[in-house]
Amino acid sequence: MRVGMFAWILHRLTGLALVGYLVVHIWGLKAITNPDAYNALITSYHAPIFKVGEFLLLGAVVYHALNGLRIVLIDFMGWSPNQRKLFWTLGAVAAVLFVVGGYPSIAALVDYFNS
Amino acid sequence: MSDTTALSEPTPVTEPVEDRVEDAEKGIKPRRRSGGNVADMTLTVKVKRFNPDTDERPRWDEFEVPAEAMDRALDLLHYVKWHLDGTLTFRKSCAHGICGSDAMKINGENQLACSILVQDLGLTDGDTVTFEPLPAAPVVKDLVVDQSRFFDKYRAVMPWLINDEAVPVTERIQSPEQHAVIEDATKCIMCGACTHSCPSTWADPDYLGPAAMLKAYRYVFDSRDTEPEERLKVVDSKDGLWKCYTIFNCVQACPKGIDITRWLSALKRKSVTTRY
Repeated sequence: MRVGMFAWILHRLTGLALVGYLVVHIWGLKAITNPDAYNALITSYHAPIFKVGEFLLLGAVVYHALNGLRIVLIDFMGWSPNQRKLFWTLGAVAAVLFVVGGYPSIAALVDYFNS
Repeated sequence: MSDTTALSEPTPVTEPVEDRVEDAEKGIKPRRRSGGNVADMTLTVKVKRFNPDTDERPRWDEFEVPAEAMDRALDLLHYVKWHLDGTLTFRKSCAHGICGSDAMKINGENQLACSILVQDLGLTDGDTVTFEPLPAAPVVKDLVVDQSRFFDKYRAVMPWLINDEAVPVTERIQSPEQHAVIEDATKCIMCGACTHSCPSTWADPDYLGPAAMLKAYRYVFDSRDTEPEERLKVVDSKDGLWKCYTIFNCVQACPKGIDITRWLSALKRKSVTTRY
């Protein structure tokens, strides 16, 4: 399996997604000058679609950060011979962080649809 | 040697010539190869054909080729060229993994046709094997690509020893430890499997690519070379090292098993620590 190429494509896609997110995020923050608009914005963030978004955002951040660490170890520490093991090890760490960190978003979603 | 110890008559392994002539007259294609062994499987060989002079776009040709597990992928192409379609064009020279002429895309992976066996490809009777030219290079004909750009990049990194010191009477000595640093990189046979497997090369035809920069590594880290700065200037550019995103396709493609990414990383560190 082309682990390295898969890691790179996912890194590029999550990177682009995070740039897109950052634009939306900063744009949303301009409401901070008006208390009513700000409260309305924050309330709108409790909608289920944003809970799904939070979950995906966490996934993108966790993957991008840990694969970034993998690239740093490869380029700065010369760990290239271990790149596959690195990918799967850091992938496991990412999965744990994703599940633990994503639990509140999922729980909020479940609550929303139960009530 | 006295004639009383004459070797026993060799066992005939090929069918008699008369049979072959008869077969040819009947239009029966040979089932045995030059080695004489009977093939134990039949493979469908799909080749991406293209002649830029006459064809608008590439086409796929299919051939039924008798083969055995220990055949090289190159033998399949030879069979097609020798027995089925003489117009098939591919490049090969030594056929033993030294000259680096026959790198091509076999079953979707860049590899040397002479260094990969039918059994390595996991092929059994009735399977299909595909041959395509190396990606991201202009096709001259069929499986032959124009390598000019590849070798231009190679020359750009000045792939020769630069040392202006007085020429010693004997050779310039290098210790085993000093050689160990560059040994892996010296195994490169310039086949181009790596550079043409690299997404950075696909996207940017001017990107130096793994093969050329591996050569740069080989000379920058050579204890006898006195001019690493000039080479670092070439690789530390917008078309150089920093478009290596550690994708590892080159390492996977290399028929000599060179850990190219490892040496390019070393070159990145060298570049950062000496030039800034």
